[in-house]
Amino acid sequence: MTASAAGRSAPRRGGAAAGGAPPEPAPVIDFHCHAGRWGRYWVDDACDRYLRVMDAAGIDRACLNCIWHGDARRGNDVVAGFLRQRPDRFIGAAFATPHYPEEAVPELERAVDQLGMAYVKVYPDYVGRPVDDPAYFPIFEWVNARGLPVMCHATYPFDPPGTTITGRFTALSRRFPHVTWVLAHAAGRVDADAARAARCLPKVYLETCSSGTALGAVEYAVEHAGEDRVLFGSDMPLMDARQQIAKVATAAISPQAKRKVLGANALRVLGLSTDLRPVPRPARGA
Amino acid sequence: MRRVELDFRPAVPAADANAAVGRRHDRRVAVDDAAGVVAEMDRAGVSQALVYAPHAAAYDSREGNAWLADAVRGEPRLVPQFVCNPAFDDLDDTAAHAAGAGARAVRMLPMLHNYPFRPWVVGAWLAWLAAEGLPLWLPMDYAANWHTGGELDPHEVFETVRELPELAVVLSEVHYRQASWALPLLRSLPNLSIELSRFVIVDGVQRLLDAAGPRRILFGSRFPDSPMAPQLYHLHRCGLSEDDLRAICAGNLLRLLGMDAS
Repeated sequence: MTASAAGRSAPRRGGAAAGGAPPEPAPVIDFHCHAGRWGRYWVDDACDRYLRVMDAAGIDRACLNCIWHGDARRGNDVVAGFLRQRPDRFIGAAFATPHYPEEAVPELERAVDQLGMAYVKVYPDYVGRPVDDPAYFPIFEWVNARGLPVMCHATYPFDPPGTTITGRFTALSRRFPHVTWVLAHAAGRVDADAARAARCLPKVYLETCSSGTALGAVEYAVEHAGEDRVLFGSDMPLMDARQQIAKVATAAISPQAKRKVLGANALRVLGLSTDLRPVPRPARGA
Repeated sequence: MRRVELDFRPAVPAADANAAVGRRHDRRVAVDDAAGVVAEMDRAGVSQALVYAPHAAAYDSREGNAWLADAVRGEPRLVPQFVCNPAFDDLDDTAAHAAGAGARAVRMLPMLHNYPFRPWVVGAWLAWLAAEGLPLWLPMDYAANWHTGGELDPHEVFETVRELPELAVVLSEVHYRQASWALPLLRSLPNLSIELSRFVIVDGVQRLLDAAGPRRILFGSRFPDSPMAPQLYHLHRCGLSEDDLRAICAGNLLRLLGMDAS
């Protein structure tokens, strides 16, 4: 079964509790990639370049979202186009916008159940609403019922003073206990608040990409959030996956931690086995 | 498909075109002395590094450059780069100090130091650099807690640098925000090179090769804000010929600095 097909087997539960036995050799999964075009930053939709860079970087699967359309359906169709071309290399993430709440849940059902997307991406910075704005709650209620992961940035320029990542995701985790939260870029910098959130909350993960390659960021996240709570991501094609994966490959952490960050943790979040098949999940409440 | 190397070491000599040594005023950096820079170089497999002093950029070039000269004395793997502020510094004094300290390159920060990069401000300084064979680094910006100024003006760079074809100029810390003009600028100015520490756009090295060729691209890390090894790992995954890899990882920098690759 392909990775994209794996996403069709709803209901399923991503984000099983971290820990357990040392990982078996796992595929390398890039948890943070985009599809679509953004001319301002030279982002195009060249699938062949995507695959060439993935091959050179050693990436087996790239998780794609398209967040650049006001119409989520158009963005999700862009991702679906990539999935159709190479279902063996891409995993889809469905975009949902709170600006059109009447469309959000039907579009998520289409994206996950028909197009095979494996998790949900929201983009609070650019849509102008923080992730804990009630406008998202219908989206998260649907995600919670499915037990899917959500990826988003954790802080925003318009946050009021005193906002903390730990506080924000503690409240969200209480309200939506079956959602796994992947905090984009939160392991791309030394961020004590993000690490605290991942350490304190059982379903919060930190993702590694950043344009700055902050010294010691991956090491800090692994030490303070735990090696089970960090996911490799590249932000490709905004950034080059070879450069982003290099931060993990050359980090001063153990080989076991590197393998977890590069893929084993993502498998758990996505509910996949090492051969990228869906792992049966216990029934909710078991 | 290649696999991820978990114990990477560079296969060719490496020389870092963008590192700093010394304390900053606005925050504590993880490594702030020469010994720490050398330790990171050993960890990453970097033989030499071009280093400047943050104090010379943020507050006073004369004080900072003097501190740098002391800090790297006796450590031949650290090559001093002087920061110059043409709007404030004395050219003759700076030239003498640079020669005495063995400075091999100069860094200017027009936005931070609040002057236009125009011949009527920097002309005499650029003539000095060209005459001495000293290359000029132009970072895109400088992040400090009190400075949120703009980025380098590409039009000013184009108009000023094209008048001095014998002067080697290096665009440094080019971010993906600046890719839209940095590549056309490289195509337009044959004496312009680029340092890679912040150039993260997808397939960026190949795009630079297409725009400027392999002799105008320099490995740089931006240490200690960023580690040295990741960019080298990246370069080893770009499908470069060994000659091009050697040039980008070290050869181009050493040529610009007038140093022997050995």
